[in-house]
Parts: sequence; C-alpha cells; structure tokens
Amino acid sequence: MAIGVKVMKRPTQQTSYLRATLKGMALTFSHLLRPKVTMQYPEEKSSKDWTLSSRWRGTHRMLTDEQGRAKCVACGLCPQICPANCIKLVPGEDEEGNRYPLIYEIDEFRCVFCGYCQEVCPEEAIHVGVHYENSEYTRDRFVYDLERLSAQTHPVSTLWDPSDPKGE
Amino acid sequence: MPDQLINLTIDGAPVSVPPGTLVIEAAKQAGVLVPHYCYHPGLQVAGVCRMCLVEIEQAPKLQIACATTVTEGMVVKTQGPAAKSARQSVLEFLLINHPLDCPICDQAGECELQDFVFQEGRQGTRYGEYAKRFNPVEDFGPDVLYVPNRCILCTRCVRFMEDVAQEPVLNVSERGDRAFIGIHPEARLDHPWAGNVVDLCPVGSLLSKDFLHKARAWELDKTASICTGCSQGCNISLDTRDEVVVRVRPRPNLDVNRYFICDHGRMHYRWMNRGDRIEAPLIRRDGELQATDWDEAFDRVVGILRGAAEGRKAVALVSPGASSEALAEAKRLLSGFSWTGAFQVVMGEEAPLAGVPNLALRAERAPNATGAESLGYTRDYAAAIAAAKTAAVVLVLDDPDCAVETDGALLYLGTVLGSDAPCRRADVVLPIANVAEEEGTFVNRDGREQRYYQAKPAPGMAQPAAWVLGQLVDAMGLAGATR
Repeated sequence: MAIGVKVMKRPTQQTSYLRATLKGMALTFSHLLRPKVTMQYPEEKSSKDWTLSSRWRGTHRMLTDEQGRAKCVACGLCPQICPANCIKLVPGEDEEGNRYPLIYEIDEFRCVFCGYCQEVCPEEAIHVGVHYENSEYTRDRFVYDLERLSAQTHPVSTLWDPSDPKGE
Repeated sequence: MPDQLINLTIDGAPVSVPPGTLVIEAAKQAGVLVPHYCYHPGLQVAGVCRMCLVEIEQAPKLQIACATTVTEGMVVKTQGPAAKSARQSVLEFLLINHPLDCPICDQAGECELQDFVFQEGRQGTRYGEYAKRFNPVEDFGPDVLYVPNRCILCTRCVRFMEDVAQEPVLNVSERGDRAFIGIHPEARLDHPWAGNVVDLCPVGSLLSKDFLHKARAWELDKTASICTGCSQGCNISLDTRDEVVVRVRPRPNLDVNRYFICDHGRMHYRWMNRGDRIEAPLIRRDGELQATDWDEAFDRVVGILRGAAEGRKAVALVSPGASSEALAEAKRLLSGFSWTGAFQVVMGEEAPLAGVPNLALRAERAPNATGAESLGYTRDYAAAIAAAKTAAVVLVLDDPDCAVETDGALLYLGTVLGSDAPCRRADVVLPIANVAEEEGTFVNRDGREQRYYQAKPAPGMAQPAAWVLGQLVDAMGLAGATR
C-alpha cells in the first residue's frame, strides 16, 4: 500500500463477480434457444420474415413483345420526366415504318430510382426492377443499353401496393 | 381603319372591333381562345368542324364563332354549360375514330385535339365497343405523309390547296364516317408551297417526312428568325433541339408571308448544322495557315490594313446572306481606301403562292441583297473580281466559293473553308457565326428591315461577323468613320 489509501471493507456478496457473470451467461445462452434471425446472405436472399418489397425500385428492365423486340416506341416521355436526366433516347424508324428507339441508354449511376420512367411509360416498356446486386468491374458498364435492359430477367417493380393502389 | 367600331361583350369582357369581324377573332382580342379546328385565319371559313360553338344571347341556338360576324351589343358566352357540353360532344365524336397513338405521333405536344380534349374533353368514351376505322398511311408528295386514321376532316389542307395554292389536288373523298382526304390519282402534293399543309393540320394526320420521328415537340426551342432562302424575307421560327436546327416553321407576319413559307425555305436549314466549320482564327505563318487567338489575328489584320498605302484600292466581296450590320462594318473598315464592294446572288426559279398577293419564292436566292445594295455594294461581281487582282486589300465576307485572285492582301471572314477553296490563299482567315448563331438584320426585297435572333451557339471561337469587323474598326481607330 502506498500513501494512505483507505480500503473499504465490504461484504463478500457485494464484491463477488460470480452472480453477475452467471446472470449475463444466462441471457447469452437463452439466445441459443430463441429462433435464428441472421440471414446467410448471399447463400440465402430472402426468408419467411424478410423479403424484398414488390415495390422496390432498383435497376431497370425493358420488357419485350412476343418477337423479343423492346416494347418501347421512343415516345420520349421518360427522358422528359427523368429528374436525373439519365435516359438517352434517339428515335428511329424500322423496316415496317414503326417508330422505335435507335439508341436507348440509362446511366444507372445518375439514376435516382424514382420510378417516374415506369409510371410515365404509355407502353409499359421501361420498368424499375426488384433487384439490388449491381457490382461491375468498370464504371462504363453501368450505362445500360437497350440490349442489356431487355436481357434483364429480374421481376419488375409494382411501384404501388396492389392491394392499396391509392396509398390510403 | 373604319371610324365606326362595333361594341360587344365576350365572356364579360367588352371589346370593340371593326364591322365584319368574326366572333372568333373578336374573342382573341378579349383574350379568349374559342377551341376550333377548321377555322384558320389564313384560309376561307368553312364551318365544318362544329368545334367553336358558343352561346350568343337572344340567338335561338348555339352559333359557330368562326362564321358569325359581330353585331352591336352582342353578348357572347364561350364557357356556358350548353356551349361546353356541345364542344365536349364534338370531341367525343372526333375520338371515336382518332387513334390514341400520341406516343408515336409527331404532332403530340402541339396537337390541337390533344390540347382541347385535355382542356375540356370528357373522361372516357361511350363508344368503346366500336372498332376504330383503319386506313393505311398514304404518301402524298415529296415531303408529305397522310395518316388517315388521325384525320379529323377539318379540310384545312383541302382549302389551302384550293384557295391559297390554287392547285386543287386534294379533296374529301367518300362520305360520313368513311370520309378521308383524297388526292387526285395522277397528282402529287408537290406544289412548291405544299409543305404548309403539315403546319395547317391541327392533328398529326399530315406529317413532314423530313421531320418524321426526329424530335418531340416539347424538346424544341423556338427562335424567331428570317428565312435565308430568298429575298422575300419570310418570318420563320428555327426549332432547335440540343443546339441542332431540326425544323423550320413559318412565323405569322401578315405583311410579308402571312402564315406560310415555301418548301425551299422549309428545307433550307441543313447547312446551319454543318460540322466542318472554321473554329479558330487562322493566320499565315511560314507560308501556312495556322490557328491562333483573336488578339493575334486582329493585330495581323490591323498590320495589313495600316501597311497598305492610304488611298489605294480595296475590294470587298461579300455574301448577300450577311447581316446588314456586318456589311456596314465591312464598309467602315475599308473606308480609308478607295473601295468597291460587290456581291453575287444565286438565281433560281420564282414560285409564287397564287392566293396571297406579293408572296413568292423569289428568283433571287439571297436574303439581304437589298440591304447590301443600300449600303453601296454593287451587283457587278465580275468587275469586282477583276478589280481584286490589283487591289491592295481584298476582304471576302462569307463567300467560300469566291474565285478571287489578288496580288494584295487577302482577308477571309467565313464559316467554312474548303480544302481547295481560293480563300485558302488568304493571309488571315477569321471564323464567323452563321445566321442561326448570331443576331442581325436583313432587308427584304421590299425594303423591310427585319431582325433575326440567335438560335444556337457558334462553334469554337467563331463570332458574329459584325462583332469581328467591329473589333477591327475599333482597333483601326475608325469608330467615328461614316457608315
């Protein structure tokens, strides 16, 4: 003991760690018996308790008709409504005289995923997708062209709750 | 101006108009647009669309505003319940057969049917179970396509060809719900003014092949300009999209071109978008033209002009498509010399619009020949070329193919410089803006001075010719010289 430190005398029940340790371990081990909440991503992508909402707005998908052509008629409404200015569209005419997009590109980096493009589309062609895994090796791969947009297979967003379309 | 005006009330607003005015025109003065399709101020009144029905007090039935002349004390209501429901029914009838293909229709955004249905049409149709009439697209002429499905039979195109162009090749064929706009089987819609039917069409039924699928109406920026196609000086609007001129449309001016422009003028815009432009001032260094900045180029020009002896000859070879401002500055720049200026006008065939007096595609295919002449430039181009041979200074203003040869200094202000153009031999080449890239004035053949405005930016370092020449005038200290 150095210079005059006063040592308080306390009962053993109060100074023992045993009681608190056992209390803590009891809580810890009780978790072993409770249901599991951890999801083993990426092996496991959804569970009974957690799925991606059908209204999720992720990277785009262009729907196609029976012949596999994009449904887009190049009306120009999506580049017009897009608040992030991420859609590039150049209209053209195909062999049958139909209007179609010569160039249709979406810059997914610029996109703010508001879903206006899907909402405004009169042909139900462009959709935002229920999809979130978007890693690429280069930045330029994030500019999706028409071919890539049409090749996407993920489900498309419903934008609004089908059971409550007006959001009431 | 007649001394007696007629007073009437339209939607509560009092207006005074000359006798004989139509209610629809009087309504415009009151700030009321009565929806209409067949009526057009530049055409004869037909009264076929029944869209402009209005209530007139003490009249037993609704009246069409386009064929009713005003009377003293008339009280017109355009927004009364009877008129509104009548117009709503007309729109509902029009939409029985009109396809809702607005997304692929070039007229969308500037379509009167779209506008008025949106404004006062009813929600939904009661004719949903009927299949819409279908007819294939027809090729009417060099620049006109007819989409019969979209036609609302306002007959504006028929009346234009009959009364204004006076070459009646269009008619209304068949009757009732089978009616469509027909063209004479052996004729084409190739009148030099036929393109106006595309502008007149209130819906997307008559389309310009040139503009087909090119841009959407709401993407276009419109700039007031003057047509450079001929010396008539028609007022036009340059429609640009992303700084590219994509379309030329007429801008109403009752004293010059009324509501119309000719097809030559309508197609006379591609050169405004040329990509092979001079983008930097070039000066001759070691026998070669080399790019430089404006200051050095100006110094070089001032050096040349100061170096040339006072009182020597100078020749200006100018384009009759240059603005009056540029022509005046060029004259001022050479005012220290004994100068001659000349221009050459490309001639073509004259094509009048029969139904409008004093309106034609003029033989003189240049917008500012009158302006150049009034500033003292002559039409004696050959003499000026000959004089250029011995001149101390030759100034070529935007005349890229000018076959000039000179022993003196050659200054070239232009938009383009071909690889074997005579102006390649110039000592200084200064890049200038074209008509779509600058503001200026043209004087048409009747001496009417008309202003045009900038529609898109000039490429690179190019500047309006009037600015370039004005800087040179200042640098020479000639600012006080007579114009």
